[in-house]
Amino acid sequence: MLTYEPDDTFAHRLDPRTKLAVQIGFAATALAHPTPWALLVLSALTGLVMAGAGVSLRRTLVAYRFALLVLALAPVLSGVTLGAPWFDRAAATASGLASYRVLLVLLVSAAYVRSTPVRDSRAAIQRTIPGKPGQLLGVGVALVFRFLPVLRSDLRTIRETMAARLGTERGAVDRASTIGMLGLSRAFDRADRLSLALQARCFAWNPTLPPLAFSRADYPVLVVAVVLACSAVI
Amino acid sequence: MATNQTSVERVDDAVVRSFARAAVLAALMGAAVMVGSIPIPFSPVPVSLGVLVVYLMGLYLGPVWGPASVGLYLTAGAVGLPVFANGTSGLGVLVGDTAGYLWAYLIAALVIGALIHGRGQLENPAETSVPVLAAVLLAALTIIYALGTVWLGYMLKLSTIEALNLGVVPFIPGDLLKIVAAIAIVKGGRIDPT
Repeated sequence: MLTYEPDDTFAHRLDPRTKLAVQIGFAATALAHPTPWALLVLSALTGLVMAGAGVSLRRTLVAYRFALLVLALAPVLSGVTLGAPWFDRAAATASGLASYRVLLVLLVSAAYVRSTPVRDSRAAIQRTIPGKPGQLLGVGVALVFRFLPVLRSDLRTIRETMAARLGTERGAVDRASTIGMLGLSRAFDRADRLSLALQARCFAWNPTLPPLAFSRADYPVLVVAVVLACSAVI
Repeated sequence: MATNQTSVERVDDAVVRSFARAAVLAALMGAAVMVGSIPIPFSPVPVSLGVLVVYLMGLYLGPVWGPASVGLYLTAGAVGLPVFANGTSGLGVLVGDTAGYLWAYLIAALVIGALIHGRGQLENPAETSVPVLAAVLLAALTIIYALGTVWLGYMLKLSTIEALNLGVVPFIPGDLLKIVAAIAIVKGGRIDPT
């Protein structure tokens, strides 16, 4: 699974905002230019980004295997025609190039995921989005990270308990609504306890954040991000 | 260390309560996608209970905190929490081929919340009649399908029919089942959001 891994690569040392800018610039230009030449250049750039973050190509492809299935299927689906010539090669090529650019965008975002801890992402969100929405988004994301394993184990427990009582023999609607109802009521219980805890700890609009600062390495990478974003409109 | 010299500005109690619910439901959505998902070959979006949680967000959190909760889920996934289909994450998924479905969740939660609760106080959705609930949830599902299909077709250069075959047709039975399940949960009346 694709997650943050502590390391000391070039990407790990960059400011999270720089890395977000690169991803946005890359996605913009990849969406704007699905041509073989542009994709060749972007492939080389993707290679650099992945090397810079120490991302393993094989592991990333395994993590995105289900997305890859669709990307591989799209050109086939696009090429097959009912009737002569049975396979439209131009349509399949266009769709294949379009699929490939999606793969490149996914690989570049994998570099961010591997090289950025949640704390940094949260600080980047709160410093980039001004005011109360930014605060709530930052704190909220941190809470989602914290609660995901808890709620996953809640849902597992519900499913295992249902299986032990032959709940798996019931109809699909019955099963889905039982899981949904129990999951939701547990989630609401947890939310109410969380809100009490937040109030007890003086949950404020202006907490202290970890410091973020652009280092010398950030500036050239930021320039790359801007160039990529501009190249989308050329 | 960065320090804040300004005095502490407490978050309003009502906001804390709604915010906590939105955050926990966003995590529930991630958990439902992981635990409940069954990948099906030849189709981009696996059958998962994720969409069911989107319905519940709209129904129980309303037109403001429902979409906020979806927003937290999308942001957490974008910065690296493996909450998208099949345990993936990253900003790339939010612009990739299946991004249309994910962004449509925001609008779906907003539409459900607005149609059930209006602009005022949150109401108990159990008081809404079954036909109205069904119509609202079907409308939300239509929005998800429409945006998802348009984006899938644009990203992979597929015609509308091809995109529908890849991204909608295989999921219709599962998604209708989730609407029935959502209505059963609401009508079960065990949860009162007010």
